[in-house]
Amino acid sequence: MNWEELVFEAKPFDGLLVLDVHGHIGAHRPFQLGAYSAAQVAQTATRMGVDAVCVSSLPSIVSDWKWGNEEVAQACRDFPGLILGYAVPNPYYEDCDIAPYLSMPGFRGIKVHGDMQGSLPLNDPRYFAAYELADKQRLPVLFHAWLPSEVAAATDVAKRYPNATIILGHSGMTARAAAVQAARECDNILIDTAISSTYDNAIEVLVDKVGADRVVYGSDISFFDCIHTMGKIALAKLSDTDKEKIFGLNAKELFRL
Amino acid sequence: MRFIDASCRLGMPAAPGEGMPWKTEEILELMDRCHIEQAFAYHIVARDGEVEDGNGLLMEEIKKDSRLQPQWCAMPATFREFLHADALGDAMKKNGVKTLRIAPKGFAHSAMPYAMKELMDFAAQSRVPVFFDYGEAVGDALYDLCSAYPDVKFVVTNTAYALNRFLGPVLDACPNLYVGTGNYVPHQGLETFCRYYSADRLIFNTNLPFGSATAAVSLVCLANISKEEKEKIACGNMERLLSEVRL
Repeated sequence: MNWEELVFEAKPFDGLLVLDVHGHIGAHRPFQLGAYSAAQVAQTATRMGVDAVCVSSLPSIVSDWKWGNEEVAQACRDFPGLILGYAVPNPYYEDCDIAPYLSMPGFRGIKVHGDMQGSLPLNDPRYFAAYELADKQRLPVLFHAWLPSEVAAATDVAKRYPNATIILGHSGMTARAAAVQAARECDNILIDTAISSTYDNAIEVLVDKVGADRVVYGSDISFFDCIHTMGKIALAKLSDTDKEKIFGLNAKELFRL
Repeated sequence: MRFIDASCRLGMPAAPGEGMPWKTEEILELMDRCHIEQAFAYHIVARDGEVEDGNGLLMEEIKKDSRLQPQWCAMPATFREFLHADALGDAMKKNGVKTLRIAPKGFAHSAMPYAMKELMDFAAQSRVPVFFDYGEAVGDALYDLCSAYPDVKFVVTNTAYALNRFLGPVLDACPNLYVGTGNYVPHQGLETFCRYYSADRLIFNTNLPFGSATAAVSLVCLANISKEEKEKIACGNMERLLSEVRL
């Protein structure tokens, strides 16, 4: 693969399996996303040669869990295979049952974001029903993991539910070292590359510490344009094999594609 | 495609991330990898308060490679903490400095004319582009700054995804405002910007070493805009601003 050519000659990443494990659709009030519809996410994914992007609905996190999850179900129907879905639980509602979504076409896992749900710790027992589903069905759970406390909660959940795979979104961000330690402690923890505007060489450091088998491509689209992280990985000082694992091979196994 | 990095930083950060490529040699290596022909850099010591000493350190550091060009930090000459405009102009001319960076919030001074008029009059007359991070003029302060000095070309850097609703009205009201692309990351952000404000007002920069050069070049190269627009953003617009400088 000529990675430089892909970026500097603006070629779609065709011929490479690209699976984005960290996407969003829908609006969240303070963030000016501009292009947050499933159609717009699908448009960019198609243009860039992304094979699939797994999304959660921001409204499902910050407001109406049911409406948001339905939004994702519709996106999976509208863009079969290209848009995959995370079901989002809301721990404040006893009637919140995400199991039906997990049996719908396109849904591949669960997304949790306690920071936007009243700063609830992600190892609060009210989330356990969702984790039990993930454990039983051997599904991935994408954690919003920005703070040390979130990485610690993810580690706790990974240990309690060993058949689920925990993806540390944002690589732990302000707790990168803790995220690395968590991945070393728990075989069922992966780290995603949605490290926002982080400096060059950060992904190389992650791979050096936990191995390319444990790192998966996540873009945080539509907060970020996915081309941001695609280019960062493509131009990283990593082997072709490592890049291929990060871009898609690791997630292929994860999503059972 | 060739790139000119309109603003990055040299010098030792207080709290570098693990593996952060902050050394000048590492930045030069990234420039090679990212096809960046020239980089306009300011020094962290100048940005963090020792303005004149930091600008001096910068001049020493950029001697390492001719691809590095100086961007001096500047502040008002109040209490003679910094050079008066005439002396600043002379020093810039002598040192080949064609861009300035201000940090009113960081340096804890007003950005309004009663405090900055002399410096901004100099920037307007010399047509030196003035850079600042968005964090230095947040929200209404961005409009206040750009509208107070309509003859100064301002380039706001280190923006992010949660900015457009502030940025758009200021771009409408202030044609002297340009946007650095280093951390301008919204989904389809450059496409949308070009559609509403044209590529002429986008200036490529990296924010190295805290920003990512590989991501910055990717945002431009892989954006769904024309080759001509990409070339303007990558280098053409900065070259145009530099060609207007009269020192």
